[in-house]
Amino acid sequence: MARVPAVGNQRFLGGALMRVKKIITGRGAWGGIAEGHAMISSRTITGWGGVDIFTGTVVEPGHPLEGMSIKDSVLILDDSKGSNGWSVFFHAAKEAGCGPAALVFPRLDSRTAVTAAVLNVPLVTDVAEDLFTLIQIGDWLRIDGDRGSIEIFT
Amino acid sequence: MNLSDNEKQILDGHEGPVRQKAMELIVRYGRIVGAEALCRVTWADLFCGSHHYLDVVSSDDFDVIFSRMSLCSSETVRLEAMDDQCICFSGVDADCSDVPKGMLMPPEEKARNARFLSRFVDAGVVLSGNCIPYLTGFIPLMGEHFVSCESSAVLFMNSVWGACGNGDGIEASFCAAICGRTPLAGKHLPEHRIGTDVVAVNVEPKSIHDWDLFGYALGRQLPPHAIPVLTGDFPRPNSIQLKAFFAALACAAGTELCHIVGLTPEARTCERALNDRKPKQTIQIGVADMMAAMQELNGHERQRIDYVSLGCPHYHINELRRIAAFLVGKRLHPDTTVHLWTAGSIKQMADQCGYTNTIEKAGATLLTSSCPSTRGYPDGVRTAAYDSAKQRLCAAQETDANLFYGSWQECLQSAISGFWEGR
Repeated sequence: MARVPAVGNQRFLGGALMRVKKIITGRGAWGGIAEGHAMISSRTITGWGGVDIFTGTVVEPGHPLEGMSIKDSVLILDDSKGSNGWSVFFHAAKEAGCGPAALVFPRLDSRTAVTAAVLNVPLVTDVAEDLFTLIQIGDWLRIDGDRGSIEIFT
Repeated sequence: MNLSDNEKQILDGHEGPVRQKAMELIVRYGRIVGAEALCRVTWADLFCGSHHYLDVVSSDDFDVIFSRMSLCSSETVRLEAMDDQCICFSGVDADCSDVPKGMLMPPEEKARNARFLSRFVDAGVVLSGNCIPYLTGFIPLMGEHFVSCESSAVLFMNSVWGACGNGDGIEASFCAAICGRTPLAGKHLPEHRIGTDVVAVNVEPKSIHDWDLFGYALGRQLPPHAIPVLTGDFPRPNSIQLKAFFAALACAAGTELCHIVGLTPEARTCERALNDRKPKQTIQIGVADMMAAMQELNGHERQRIDYVSLGCPHYHINELRRIAAFLVGKRLHPDTTVHLWTAGSIKQMADQCGYTNTIEKAGATLLTSSCPSTRGYPDGVRTAAYDSAKQRLCAAQETDANLFYGSWQECLQSAISGFWEGR
């Protein structure tokens, strides 16, 4: 989990002072608080083979997140696809020390739910707002899996 | 969540540490999806063996690896037995029957895989070695709860038999098989089996290849979490065509249930499949959609073909019969490696019928238990051809080779000339 000195709603990141710009609320499905940069795509990652298990790097050809790692990130995907081996690739990356810090799945399906159960990190789901227009890749986020909140820093 | 007394006892560790760890993950999964209760799982199609994703654990000890990667427990517990009410299949293997040149598992890896599999056998798992459990005796009946690590098998058994299962994942399937429970959620509940989107089928898929391509054409247009209801005046598919259709559809869209009006049991009529609700939309699938799907799966100029892999999902005996008949007296190009994949029990039938002999005389190899996605590719493959959209899509992430897609006839014709002969 990426830990940042928590000073209320301010963060010093990359030499810049950032504040909470927006708070979005959904259902907190698995508890805990974590922060990290957004790895977000409305196009889901193909689980079986889409992630390098030793580095957490997305290797799916042509994927918007290709070449970036899910390590310590807040992973936000709309769906799962491909094999039922969706969860194991994220799970293996976690075992290799390269798992995400928190998860946001706007709508759960059985495979994303199992992934959350396996990774055992904060999860927010049932989000009505369109996260894929509100959040950009790399945005700093705080996820509260108890309250179900997603705070976007800017 | 409401747990029964017995479920609470399992969770409290009264029935041993393995059942406790398994129940912990199932309860966590249930809480995440907001399930009110668990249901009894009586069939489990698993993913046993020394698969490559387990390499992240720097240990050779089965119980260390199984505890961390399947039970999601940092504490090591010993796998003794699966739930005695649950019939367990091992699923696709990491190894294959005859290992041709360039696909050899190193001896120590082979031994490790065999060692892992023997632990599953000791725990009561049947070594099935295939991705088509529904053709080899894994038969959950209507309303019966199952788990399966094969996305195409989940779609087949939900749709064709009215059995109840979700895509879940490998860890949840192992845990369900051990504690005999899974969350009563998703496709285990009748209200989540109602059709959401009507599909007007304006094409006439006839061959297995047509159905495979149709599965991909539909999958690339289907919204997430949709339960399609197929309507229209199209030829009635058989179970072998549905095997191909469901594999492509599940791979492209993650679909877990698909109603076909007049054919699948929950779709006697379109209204019945929709439970008299209005569909979210009607998706039209026409010839242009099939052509666009074909273009996405192909797109390289005619070139030499190094490798042809057929049998995804694993071939039915009738597919092997037709291929053997096609190959009688033919000779494949010596520079093109051809692998056909099936289940061990089906290969035994092919051996008895003489199909295996005909296929191998022509220069192809009939393999069991695995596939390139789980076993890897022969060395030096720069071009590869498939008769399965699923295998073609998976291959894009597994090899840098130029990829081709066509019917099995086109693939074998290419293997004869050594050049791609499809569209």
